[in-house]
Amino acid sequence: MFFLFFVILPTIYILSYAITDWGAIEQHVLDDPAMLDLILNAISASFQIAGIVTVIDILAGLPMAWILVRKEFRGKRFLDTLIDMPLAVPTAALGFSSAIFFAVTPESLAAPSFALNAVTSPYLLIILLHVVFSYPYMVRSLSAILVQIDQTYETAGRTLGASALSAARTITLPLFRAGLVTGIILCFARSLSETGGTMIALATMANPGNFATGPTLIGDWKHDLDSNPDLAAPLAFVSILLIILSLLLLVVLKIVIMKVHLPMGRIWPRPERLFSRGWFPKTKDGLAVLFLVVFVLLPSFFIFTYVASATPVSFDYGPFMDSLFYSFVIAAVVTVIDISLGVPLALYIAKNRKGKLPEVLDVLVNVPLIVPTAALGYSLGVFWTGQNIIPTFDALLIILAHVAFTYPLVVRNVAGAVEEVDPSYEETARTLGAKPVQAFRRVLFPMIKGSILAGAIMAFTRSLGETGATQAVVASAVTAPVYIVKLIKSEAFYTAGLACIVLIIVSYVAMLALRYVTNGRRSR
Amino acid sequence: MVEVKLVGLGKRYGPVTAVHKVDLTVRDKEYVTILGPSGCGKTTLIRMIAGIIEPTEGKVFIDGKDMTGVPIEDRYIGYVFQNIALFPHLTVQDNVSYGPRARDMPREDQMRISKRFLDMVKLLDKMGMLPGELCGGEQQKASLARALSSGSKLLLLDEPLSALDSRVRVDLRYELRRLAKELGLTTIHVTHDQEEAQSVSDRIVLMRAGTVVETGTPEELYTRPKRIFTANFIGETNLLDGWVLEIKDGVSVIELRNGGKVKVNQADRPVGDAVVISVRPEFMFPADEGMRATVTSITYMGTYWRVTANTEDEEEVGFDTATLDENLLTIGKEVYLAVNPKTAVLYPRPNDGVQEAIKLE
Repeated sequence: MFFLFFVILPTIYILSYAITDWGAIEQHVLDDPAMLDLILNAISASFQIAGIVTVIDILAGLPMAWILVRKEFRGKRFLDTLIDMPLAVPTAALGFSSAIFFAVTPESLAAPSFALNAVTSPYLLIILLHVVFSYPYMVRSLSAILVQIDQTYETAGRTLGASALSAARTITLPLFRAGLVTGIILCFARSLSETGGTMIALATMANPGNFATGPTLIGDWKHDLDSNPDLAAPLAFVSILLIILSLLLLVVLKIVIMKVHLPMGRIWPRPERLFSRGWFPKTKDGLAVLFLVVFVLLPSFFIFTYVASATPVSFDYGPFMDSLFYSFVIAAVVTVIDISLGVPLALYIAKNRKGKLPEVLDVLVNVPLIVPTAALGYSLGVFWTGQNIIPTFDALLIILAHVAFTYPLVVRNVAGAVEEVDPSYEETARTLGAKPVQAFRRVLFPMIKGSILAGAIMAFTRSLGETGATQAVVASAVTAPVYIVKLIKSEAFYTAGLACIVLIIVSYVAMLALRYVTNGRRSR
Repeated sequence: MVEVKLVGLGKRYGPVTAVHKVDLTVRDKEYVTILGPSGCGKTTLIRMIAGIIEPTEGKVFIDGKDMTGVPIEDRYIGYVFQNIALFPHLTVQDNVSYGPRARDMPREDQMRISKRFLDMVKLLDKMGMLPGELCGGEQQKASLARALSSGSKLLLLDEPLSALDSRVRVDLRYELRRLAKELGLTTIHVTHDQEEAQSVSDRIVLMRAGTVVETGTPEELYTRPKRIFTANFIGETNLLDGWVLEIKDGVSVIELRNGGKVKVNQADRPVGDAVVISVRPEFMFPADEGMRATVTSITYMGTYWRVTANTEDEEEVGFDTATLDENLLTIGKEVYLAVNPKTAVLYPRPNDGVQEAIKLE
């Protein structure tokens, strides 16, 4: 109930706006060609970028997943950790860091001379930025599935005379579809909804023009809404379009990937054999690692070299620390709500797989993950301020918005873990006389504790780094990432860099906690 | 002609030695089983032959050619996996024609060959199904057809029957041997089931803790095992401690620790030597004299009864009887047990004890 009322309903509430206020949309959007053009351009840019980013992620992520799962070498754990590193960096900091690294930046920023300093097109910059933060998601979801595919299949193919490449392509890849779907949807959704990093990157680069993506439009307009109430209709329109298109895309992607049969059966023995030997596999692995370093790791952490090389400016930590504290409190409250309400739902979904209702819930849980957070935030803001059911404190609204998109992370994680636990453990506990509650607490809970914590930390860092939803729900809110956006817009680049580093360190500590917890679980 | 020769083949994983310097030759068209308890290195061994695992020392020769550095796909082997490993997304026929396809044969040949081998394992009518729709036995038959369809004359079977129900296991066992012999294949079959090994092989290679214990025909290993470990692992046996009392006309008289005296047609241990004798349950029987024991249990086994009894030094022995004379054999009754001297085997007593010698690892 909580889930439906507080998460799903507000998320899609904005759709009703299309019906009740169609007149306003017609007047301010459809009859205004310049406005319509702007919106359609921004949205199509969003989708194009998300599409291109996803393709790049697959091409570069697949070899990397392969290396991580199928190869044994020294330093594998190290590589494994490296891939997760960008996950610890809030996208706001990532956006700043990558932009300094890739883009041609204004003089006043004084980027180090060894930055790439080459990208002038905002379109390209945003693609590069989105690859940086979605790549780890792709590699993670691909390797999660790859681990589960029995390597014997491939070996069997090779005993039958298929070269390593043929076997991987004709046997393992077709078994891979499910993982590909998850990876694609995750990357696509992340790229589509990213706001903070995108805004910052655009603000950092020299001459971004009036380039905008769907979510950045929402963020900007919400900000101007007070002075220009006419923007309400376009805002709603953008949100509606984003929500509908992303949901549509989710369905289409699922169908296309599961149903369309690629002609994978053919085998080209000679060329594939050639590519399985000698220099080719090594080059491929080398390129995969190179990609990781140049396009993911360097941009993620370039901020450190920037701050180290720039001339220091005195920085008044006060307001930033306030905003950081504010972010922290919100993230903490959000995480607590997620856990206390997410775990029961996860249990319900995982234990009643067969039923109709859990199945529907299972799909619904994913909705906030797919919908761009800026659109989600705007929708939520309109819903709650319009209802007068709860007092509309800023903090409360932000918390509700953050719960909406972090809640699925906890539910996904926990439901997945519960499904993997053999129910006979709990049944055994029951036959030994334990009450259901006892059986859960003493048997199931210790087994899924790790995944609950993992979900919690994911939710926490996500909430800490979120910009789009925060801005869209309460324009005047000052969380840490929003504060950084402001700093950059006012060209206080050095202080923004420092603030980013503080944010990175805080997130990194949370990340370490995650590692510690999951490792502890494994050794037990 | 396919002959497999292993020279000093070994595999170490860090400090752990999985296989220790194995030398073995498998002759053309021979059906050899590698038998041993789990963890003895037999699967590592067959995987090194196939090229799935790189050995850390020694070499594999197939037909006299050194296979070092030759990838799996160029070794031209048929390999059947314990977990079956039919490609779940391909139909049975597509599974079987995968080998010809991977080797770039013309399309008609792919069809013809896959049908031929599916016919051979009697699965022609199921060739359009997905592997998940077949039962376990059929799945393993299909995977056998798949392995054979590559046209290889060397068949490697890695615990092919372990995942199957017991009845199917027995049926398929004979099927395996029949096909191997019909097609003139050189076969290496890995198993932990000594009964299976005995019923299919021309020769058994018995392994323990990474080394080969003994090699011989099933009959040799059952009737005249050279090691105590073999006697105990293949079939069942009673191992009894004793001393050589005297030797006359090639017959040793052994005084057992339990007080009994038995004769053994073997005279290679000097008088006074500490020995162990191995007597199979079917070659021990109640008699007027021999070792004294008290019957503790009688179990009906279908075609015979298995009787266990405690000797005077509290050691349990077992023997079989085809007819149960209830006046003679009831629980708690005392009996005298004699041994057929032709069938008992004599071993020097191992320094660190019999238990150490028969330990599985």
